[in-house]
Amino acid sequence: MQNFSSINMKAGINTIPLGSVPEDTAIALYKAMLRVRMIEEALISEYHPADEIRCPVHFCLGQEAVSAALSFLVKDEDYIFSHHRSHGYYLGKNAPLRALFSELYGRETGANGGKAGSQDISYSDKHFYSGAILSGATSISVGTAFALKYKKLPYAAIAGFGEGATDEGVFWETVNFAALHSLPLLLICENNYYATYSPMSKRMAVENIAQKVGAFGGKNHSVFGNDILSVYMSISNALEEIRSGGGPVFIEVFTYRNNSHVGPEDDSYIGYRSAEEMAFWKANDPIVLIEEKLGADMIARLRPGFEHDIKTEIDDAFKFAKESAFPATSDWQMLNYHPETPLADSLLKEFASGNFNQDQKDHIPGPY
Amino acid sequence: MQTQTATTREITYAQAIQEALDQAMGLCDDVIVMGQLVDYKSGIFGTTTGLVEKYGKNRVLDMPVAEAMMTSAAGGAALAGLRPVVVHQRLDFMLYSMDAIVNWISLWYFKSNGESRMPLTIRAITGKGWGQGPQHSKSFHAFFAHIPGLRVAMPSTAFDAKGLLLESILGENPTFIIEGRSLFSMKDEVPEIPYRVRFGEGKIMKSGKDVTLVAIGTFVPLAMRAAFDLLKNGIDVEVIDPRTLSPFDNALVCESVAKTGRLVVVDPGWNFSGFSAEVVAGVVEQVGSVLKANPIRVTLPDSHTPMSMSLESQYYPDEQRLSDTITKLMRQNGL
Repeated sequence: MQNFSSINMKAGINTIPLGSVPEDTAIALYKAMLRVRMIEEALISEYHPADEIRCPVHFCLGQEAVSAALSFLVKDEDYIFSHHRSHGYYLGKNAPLRALFSELYGRETGANGGKAGSQDISYSDKHFYSGAILSGATSISVGTAFALKYKKLPYAAIAGFGEGATDEGVFWETVNFAALHSLPLLLICENNYYATYSPMSKRMAVENIAQKVGAFGGKNHSVFGNDILSVYMSISNALEEIRSGGGPVFIEVFTYRNNSHVGPEDDSYIGYRSAEEMAFWKANDPIVLIEEKLGADMIARLRPGFEHDIKTEIDDAFKFAKESAFPATSDWQMLNYHPETPLADSLLKEFASGNFNQDQKDHIPGPY
Repeated sequence: MQTQTATTREITYAQAIQEALDQAMGLCDDVIVMGQLVDYKSGIFGTTTGLVEKYGKNRVLDMPVAEAMMTSAAGGAALAGLRPVVVHQRLDFMLYSMDAIVNWISLWYFKSNGESRMPLTIRAITGKGWGQGPQHSKSFHAFFAHIPGLRVAMPSTAFDAKGLLLESILGENPTFIIEGRSLFSMKDEVPEIPYRVRFGEGKIMKSGKDVTLVAIGTFVPLAMRAAFDLLKNGIDVEVIDPRTLSPFDNALVCESVAKTGRLVVVDPGWNFSGFSAEVVAGVVEQVGSVLKANPIRVTLPDSHTPMSMSLESQYYPDEQRLSDTITKLMRQNGL
């Protein structure tokens, strides 16, 4: 492990020892990260020249730790709201791979029948939602957290977003409301330092996001996001606290996006990240770090089997997606409105209105 | 339509809204009311008065001055099973939440492929008069009606205010109720029972044979006054209140124009690219050949709202201007 001083990383590159979690948990987390990694790499290699995945895709190579940790910590009844870099969170909520691939291919068997694509994908049965406008899904999550508390349910709303989302004003409105009402909300900020190409230093006077959240009254932690064990423990503790009524928790997870902002192409020609910086993060890649911890012998024993399992699953998902039909031509109105009103039907009466008396004056408001 | 007989009594538009909220909250524990100052005695011009005493602070939520989050949070709450009613004392403030409305709530059902929905109601009040000026008077109904996935109602009477609000709160789609502040003290016969007014069903407020006058929202009462005035001069106006702009009851308007051959639209919105143009287009496309004269739109000028009383009175059309317009139309030769 090397140090890299130009990255403003408050958590440092501290990692916690292997013994902090049971060994089988560490191995499961490793496999879950490897799965996300291999899925993203497979999609990248398929994207061109086939050009059958015709939607913007924000890949998450290097940012697998949060989703891997979540996949073991979330309950089906919890809600996850993801930003546009959605695949990790989708898999973190244990939604099916076939439906993800099929959605990317725009097929009727996709998670959303081809309406949404990568950056807007959702899977309602698993309470997974995403969207592209920064902080939009995060600000929705606070209302879901309110509803969970209102209904006295022991579940959490979880929002995953990048540090770019904290540039938005509505993010801070969200933090304030969650803290004010002590809502069961976990805010996970994957700080990868860049909003597309623009570094935090160009966008923020104060770069310590956790500290800013603290000023709003929210509990906050910072963690080195490429150490899966730290991320796992941090999210595990936070969810336990939230489920027991402790109110919202914000976790700032320092990590790095190894791939381009969007698409399979390399955007390094733009020159927004130095070769030295990228090399540092490659050396501190979350999969590299956990492999170092588990040891070369164990990895040599485990990895081929894991890779085989994952590749089989990926091949099946590609086949399923490519063999699925495109959606049929649509009745556009039906796509946008729910056609039935079961509750209104059961509770409201029909009543024909009488005649309005036109012999009355309009109201002129006072000063207020 | 199967109708009930029930007790009605005369109450104001504001009281009808309050009653709809009260009854919705009583009928369904998932209904919550959220908005700035909703739990004070003044109660958003009396429309939320008494609710907090009856249903508690957890269901009648005063909100931070954070309209964007408020609207998003309502969406998130609706997603998890609540039926929030978001209240904006001035519609203009709601515009901070356009991202939540346009980018998220309106398309939530669509992008989930019909798997997920956000049944929420946004009540937004449009000011008029007493120098409300350009930041307290906007209506924007044409804009909201333009967006797929939203339903938009502009009730003009206490009866419709209650029925449309109940229909919206207990319905399944995100809905805007745009309320005219100038209507709040106007009275109407309103049933005591909880009843529904369906979206997409316009109402003939006064039947007539000479000219179809489509009046929207706050301009319905003035349209009615003008219509009854014109009757004295032998001009028989049919007044139609579409009640909801999305969906819009184009069939009712076309049926009327097929009978009268003339169309006037009076709309409390800007002229250019306004809802009045949509009404005219709907008629021209369907029954244009029956028109005996060019359709006329009576709207606000293409300008922001002035404060000064003298300018305000020129800005908003009144009965006289509407009557004169219709009289002139009747004197006009056919197409």
